Amino acid sequence: MAPPKHDDFMDMASDSDNSFDEGLQRKGKGKSKSTDKRKKDQNKRKPKDVQAYTWEASYTRSWEAVREDEAGSLQHAVEDYVARGRRKRLQDPSTAIRRTIIRHLVLVLDLSASMLDRDMRPTRFSLTLQYAREFVLEWFDQNPLGQMGVVGMRAGVGERIGSMTGNPQDVLKAISDRHKLEPSGDTSLQNAVEMARNSMNHLPTHSSREIVIIFGSLTTVDPGNIHETLEECIKSKIRISMVALAAEMKICRDLCVKTGGQFGVALNEGHFKDLLFELVPPPAQRSLSRAAGAGATTTSANLMLMGFPTRLPGASPPSLCVCHSDLKSDGFLCPRCLAKVCDVPTDCDICGLMIVSSPHLARSYHHLFPVKPYVAVESLDESSPTCCGCARPFPTVVSQTVTEGVSPIGRYRCPDCRQDFCSDCDVFIHDVLHCCPACGK
Amino acid sequence: MDRPSHLSVVIDLDPSRWDTLNLSLFLSHLLGFFNAHVAAKHENTLAVFGAFPAKSVMLYSSSDPIAEIPPNDANSYPPFKLVDSTVVNRIARELELIADDDLDAPVALVGALTKALCYINRLTVEANAATTSSTDQSLEPVALPDPRILIVSVSPDITSSYIPVMNSIFSAQKLKVTIDACQISGPENVFLQQATHLTGGSFIYAERQDALLQYLIMALLSPPSVRRTIAVPTQDKIDFRATCFCHKNIVDIGFVCSVCLSIFCQPVPVCSTCRTKFPIKTLQKLNSSRPPLPQSNSSRAPTPSSSSARPSTTPRPPATPPTGSDQRHLPRSVVNGHAP
Ligand SMILES: [Zn+2]
Ligand SMILES: [Zn+2]
Ligand SMILES: [Zn+2]
Ligand SMILES: [Zn+2]
Ligand SMILES: [Zn+2]
Ligand SMILES: [Zn+2]
Repeated sequence: MAPPKHDDFMDMASDSDNSFDEGLQRKGKGKSKSTDKRKKDQNKRKPKDVQAYTWEASYTRSWEAVREDEAGSLQHAVEDYVARGRRKRLQDPSTAIRRTIIRHLVLVLDLSASMLDRDMRPTRFSLTLQYAREFVLEWFDQNPLGQMGVVGMRAGVGERIGSMTGNPQDVLKAISDRHKLEPSGDTSLQNAVEMARNSMNHLPTHSSREIVIIFGSLTTVDPGNIHETLEECIKSKIRISMVALAAEMKICRDLCVKTGGQFGVALNEGHFKDLLFELVPPPAQRSLSRAAGAGATTTSANLMLMGFPTRLPGASPPSLCVCHSDLKSDGFLCPRCLAKVCDVPTDCDICGLMIVSSPHLARSYHHLFPVKPYVAVESLDESSPTCCGCARPFPTVVSQTVTEGVSPIGRYRCPDCRQDFCSDCDVFIHDVLHCCPACGK
Repeated sequence: MDRPSHLSVVIDLDPSRWDTLNLSLFLSHLLGFFNAHVAAKHENTLAVFGAFPAKSVMLYSSSDPIAEIPPNDANSYPPFKLVDSTVVNRIARELELIADDDLDAPVALVGALTKALCYINRLTVEANAATTSSTDQSLEPVALPDPRILIVSVSPDITSSYIPVMNSIFSAQKLKVTIDACQISGPENVFLQQATHLTGGSFIYAERQDALLQYLIMALLSPPSVRRTIAVPTQDKIDFRATCFCHKNIVDIGFVCSVCLSIFCQPVPVCSTCRTKFPIKTLQKLNSSRPPLPQSNSSRAPTPSSSSARPSTTPRPPATPPTGSDQRHLPRSVVNGHAP
């Protein structure tokens, strides 16, 4: 996460320096232009005036289109990026840590007028919607047993956009119509958090309760004392994480830090996405106990009752489903009450049994048994000529640039089977495959 | 077939099984299939992986240089000859290399499958680097046109490889890879059936080994984009019910550890996998709400569910209707009018 800066929010929100972007060589130009732009933004806080700056719509950051060949500085930037990812992975404990597999999350979207700002292309609002959709898909992909709800902050109130559901399509549908979500008015952090909290109050203790807020505003208009809300959240073990698009606010950081969540200010579009997607993997359970302090126990383990449904083949006689009352032939039968539901995982609409299929459980196993991080190989001794995963020939020359965590000869070795992999395979194996091709661990 | 497609083939080469089957006949069918794929379109790419006991090897790939170029033969088309001789020579060499004490080791099908996925990932990365700016670190790779993996299997399931197989399936879904499987002998491989089902491929059990080439060409030669218009066999009977970790029984309603997701057929005080202790209260509640056991699967009557266990065991969304206009959450009638 980028180091927070407190001094000057104008500088903060401008697209500036993380190490990845430095390679793009756009410092001087980029800084001055965007600072200018921010000054103009100050004058047009009222949404009516936004259209006055239509030139902004066609304005592109030409420096971001810079593309260079392999020998250029861009290659270095990419390597830097990869190296950062590797270092981060090495910091993570590789042993099987406890993670909360059953997650409940409320995604809070800022829909105030500040989201019409164009400092993120094309607007903060469009970009937020786009990333939110990708986030929902990725989140359900990695947390198939989780449930997600959506709350909007608009015109000073919290607005329920989608209620808690385990079906990604339902969530996507809730945030698909951008006209219904058109930003206006002020943000009320307290109202939104209260609304999110209320929708999670009844949840069992072995599941996580999380709030993820995308916050574009610099103010919050609250009906009461937001610190009381914060206390309540700590009490009910709700973890708040936030991605701020404008600048850091004390209350925002407090909300996150005191509840054990993560806080970050997005520097640019790519960083925004990085911050948001850091929240996708299930949180390790240690953070909760640290934040809640004395008296709190870790999220309790529990034995859950789950039903494994019978799948009806596509050729079976059509019948009505209990979830949509649609007539169709395929579906799943609840093992307890034999009601037919369209999709799993879900809670049976009739008897309330949690219905999952075994692949859904299997999808979460990799969080519990992660692949050990590979070690960057430093010397050419006893190394194979090709990548063990994809059979790509390794470079035979030693790279001159020395970066921590990056192998100068492009080889990364599994500590168990001592086989070498290229950096693409290293990323793929740890991020997607979760299984070492050579030793199957 | 207007777009080129990539095919990775994983061959199960367990010598103990090939004792009873005819390997050379099988290979000649398979090579015919490779040639058909290579001939279908000039840009089609092919990779072949062999799964040997405790070892998996890439036998051929059309993107990597071949060490020994076979001598020209007036009677064969050079690209066919290249594939055929490379695959056959590599298999022969690897079979000779197998150590005696490795012969009984389980065949490394997962290793070969994961290597095939790594290879497809490499092709995807290379294709992306060629078309888009490499600064765009988007999570979804731009999909390669129609990549697919064909697994030719002669072995039954290896239970210990369940998690890696499932992980491979999910990676294949991410890379938009279709997995096809063709099984030649032995009991039906349930993992492969799940793999094909979850990735939209087809599973074929070749009842007649001498007709293998016909099975392959009729059902598995066409790329997935074409299959929508032709009738390719799919399976409908796959069951995704789970087995309990304690007795390996198939369970309808199981008790699942919230920490490690182990499945048990009855409430247990301590998880046998991760040693987590469960609260007594939950156990009592679960015991009281448990459907009478043992209950045979054939005579499942709807058991009256006691609602006492509900608050603690099933997270339910709040009953508040959304402010949007969608009608999904309107009260619905209870419909249960189908025969089990
Ligand atoms: Zn339905
Ligand atoms: Zn039911
Ligand atoms: Zn590789
Ligand atoms: Zn390994
Ligand atoms: Zn059991
Ligand atoms: Zn457990």
